[in-house]
Amino acid sequence: MSEQVSIAESRIARAPAVLKAYGLGSCVAVALYDPETKLGGMGHMLLPDRPSSSPLGSESKYVDVGICQIVDQLVRAGAKRETLVAKIAGGANMFETSYQTLINSVGARNAKSARKTLGTLDIPIVGEEVGGNRGRTVEFDLATGKILVYCAHTENPISL
Amino acid sequence: MPFLKLNNVQMDILKETSNIGMGHAATALSQMIGHPVKLRVPHVTITKISQVPEYLGGAEKMMVGITLQVLGDARGSIMLLFPQESAHRLLCNLTGDQGKVLIMNEVTISALKEVGNILSSAYLSALGSMLHKTLIPSVPLLAYDMAGAVVDYVLIDLSKSSDLAMLVETDFIGESSSDLAIKGHFFLIPDPSTLDMFLDAAGGYQ
Repeated sequence: MSEQVSIAESRIARAPAVLKAYGLGSCVAVALYDPETKLGGMGHMLLPDRPSSSPLGSESKYVDVGICQIVDQLVRAGAKRETLVAKIAGGANMFETSYQTLINSVGARNAKSARKTLGTLDIPIVGEEVGGNRGRTVEFDLATGKILVYCAHTENPISL
Repeated sequence: MPFLKLNNVQMDILKETSNIGMGHAATALSQMIGHPVKLRVPHVTITKISQVPEYLGGAEKMMVGITLQVLGDARGSIMLLFPQESAHRLLCNLTGDQGKVLIMNEVTISALKEVGNILSSAYLSALGSMLHKTLIPSVPLLAYDMAGAVVDYVLIDLSKSSDLAMLVETDFIGESSSDLAIKGHFFLIPDPSTLDMFLDAAGGYQ
């Protein structure tokens, strides 16, 4: 049973579900997992942080408020806040160039924002597959908490 | 302006401007590869950002994406997408290479970027002269990867101001017989403020 997490969406589920985010570029996937209850959630976020001036739109679009939203939902569903662990993937810079514009660094800023937010929430990051210039597909198995990261140009997935 | 509020007349204006711009671009491409290139009438699609990769045929489909920023009097992005088979065929036509698979190296990347450059320049100059605006394409950037990963780059820019994406899409088709056709998607993704300017210049506002 696998459920897709599209761009700007987040989803929580319980084992034996598998959460999948396809084709991450500069976007990041943040996976949160409680090994005791086997509850987990994943977000597929586009932007590092929500500007205070524009509360418009869905929270799951932004890394910072998106993570908080998943944590809240997990806790409400019965996950233990203290045992939550996190894994992050994505945050690539797909269009490598010799000149760097602001948008080019958005992948890096997404990953940075994820680390910062998780740090503030005191949730340990137990796996990372970020940066570079390759697209990724992420498969988060809630039965084990394992994440498989598939890249287009390599044969075997990376396990986190 | 929120995309949702676009009326039929305004949609038609966007389609028609795109049609003319793309006509010029197709002529440029035909001359470059030495075969006629056909156009499919453009669609203006307004869709949730989360649905865009599916719209392109699935987030994991391998694509060559060439993107440029629109500079000058208007802002926005252009994204040109070729499924990998089409990119390969295009390269065979351009370089005379008879290789069986798509190989990315300095020469092929440069050739594909040049295609992006020529199409975008032709498109923007036609659009610009019609709207009496100066539109300049930036240096093209290229990525060869999963469709989702290639397009999220432009979606990020869009998502800052909206949960919806407006795509002005034109498909072009090479020799329409057979599987030898070259297929591609050409997207113009105007910034919301630029969209106002477009419609204004084209008489879409009373």
